[in-house]
Amino acid sequence: MPTVESTPSSNDLAPSGNVAPVEGLPDFGSDTYKDAYSRINAIVIEGEQEAHDNYISIGSLLPDQAEELARLARMELKHMKGFTACAANLGVTADMDFAREFFSPLRDNFQTALAEGKVVTCLLIQALLIEAFAIAAYHIYIPVADPFARKITEGVVKDEYTHLNYGQEWLKANFEASRAELEQANRENLTHVRRMLERVADDAAVLQMEKEDLIEDFLIAYQEALTEIGFQPREIARMAAAALVG
Amino acid sequence: MFGLIGHSTSLEAARSLAERLGFPEYAAGDLEMWCSAPPQLVERFEVVSATGARIEGAYIDSVFVPEMLRRFKTAKRKVLNAMELAQKSGLHISALGGFTSIIFEDMNLLREQQVRATTLDWQRFTTGNTHTAWVICRQVEENAPRLGIDLSRARVAVVGATGDIGSAVCHWLQERTSVGELLLVARKEQPLRDLQAALGAGRILPLEEALPEADVVVWVASLPESLSIDVARLRRPCLMIDGGYPKNLDSKAVAEGVHVLKGGIVEFHRDIDWQVVAIAADMARPHRQMFACFAEAMLLDFEGLHTNFSWGRNNIRLEQMDQIGAASLRHGFCALDLASQACRDPAAQPAADPAAAASQPVPAA
Repeated sequence: MPTVESTPSSNDLAPSGNVAPVEGLPDFGSDTYKDAYSRINAIVIEGEQEAHDNYISIGSLLPDQAEELARLARMELKHMKGFTACAANLGVTADMDFAREFFSPLRDNFQTALAEGKVVTCLLIQALLIEAFAIAAYHIYIPVADPFARKITEGVVKDEYTHLNYGQEWLKANFEASRAELEQANRENLTHVRRMLERVADDAAVLQMEKEDLIEDFLIAYQEALTEIGFQPREIARMAAAALVG
Repeated sequence: MFGLIGHSTSLEAARSLAERLGFPEYAAGDLEMWCSAPPQLVERFEVVSATGARIEGAYIDSVFVPEMLRRFKTAKRKVLNAMELAQKSGLHISALGGFTSIIFEDMNLLREQQVRATTLDWQRFTTGNTHTAWVICRQVEENAPRLGIDLSRARVAVVGATGDIGSAVCHWLQERTSVGELLLVARKEQPLRDLQAALGAGRILPLEEALPEADVVVWVASLPESLSIDVARLRRPCLMIDGGYPKNLDSKAVAEGVHVLKGGIVEFHRDIDWQVVAIAADMARPHRQMFACFAEAMLLDFEGLHTNFSWGRNNIRLEQMDQIGAASLRHGFCALDLASQACRDPAAQPAADPAAAASQPVPAA
């Protein structure tokens, strides 16, 4: 039985390894589903691993926050274990090579910003973009997930709001000093999110997750964060446009 | 604080609005892009009542356009996401304008109270239909006599009589006026019979038979593009209140002695300093005129009635119409009339109040 500490209720769930078809939901046991799931699940696992690494890295730029960031990072590792269990439950091997390559544009930009000590850019990439991406994907996945994965994902999505909130609050407290760098980082990274969503659209569709839902939900979470940070509605609409075109 | 949840009248209008507001990416976007765009709180403004009371409101563009009506999931998502944004923005009472209330009703979104991490609080929303119905009745009562139509002798046809607004209009005209006879027109037979029984009056007729008999026609139904009206058979004078969607009666009933008035539209006593709403709503006097359903949200905020005043179908009571009507007059709204409409730019095409259309399409004549 997998251990998913962040999802207490998941302890009630024994991986079945054999999920019977449910009306209105995908056929979780079909080869088509498993093939698509091998990439989607890998993206999720890789995303959680990178989130862990990124929060630890951001802690090196914000030493006084390192402890809190390490706590967030540990949550991401728990999520990763949970999603690994989801793949095992369906008898799927996650395509990690695909996932590592999938994340490379954002990872490269994060590493460049880290090397330059650009904490604002690092927070935008990890705490805003990647977390908003995860929140959108998890929300849309939950209604069409197999029962085992559903329980786990429901627990995870609550944690991801905590992570989004962390970045949001830090950037809000440092808004005026961060504004220009945020706008620049938005321009340089939001199009990558758009392309990532495009790339995964076909596989997501097999899981009954539609691209336009994913984009809209991602933008809702991202725009909410920008609103909280202090941007005005017109600025936000302009910033978000990069995710809709290009 | 009140909210107005609206949308553009077409994809082209939405793109044009985006261009004017300085969002070239949205202006260039196709329908696919607009389907993926999230709702936007586009502006905040202050409204000052004739009593001197001041309230603040916001306009939320749901980013829905009528071209999305065939995409059920998209349309549903647009409405729910706009409602979530209104609630999260702290708006106490928001009107579901345009198609959003129709989508809410027809797609039974009461079942979809949970939107991501937000549980929608229905008390924060109103269809605005009570005020719309009251305004349409007032438009009948004020304008018929001006055309020399004696309401006590007149036959008034209500097209879309069994809808939310239509049934309220029928009850009001029957119980609060001395109207000669009501002609009840709608698509479905049984609801018509039920309405007739509830009214204890009214004659059920198909559209093509009702029109030649009517001195006044209240349209609160969608008019199919294919519908043509044989104006030669209409009575003279004939008052037509166009409360449907889209408001295209003035192109279908052009003849001397036939007077078409845009229904369910009110004018405020002073200008409102809104910019986006002025462009999006496309009214002849864009800083004063608005849909009555939007005005209902303002009235509820002025009155401190933060509740879903108009909700569900065929729940409008005459006492509520009295209440919202009195508030409407007190705070400085008046129903659009033939005189004020005529002295304004006749080329201007106010966008419709599609809430009036409900789901009462008229059979093609």
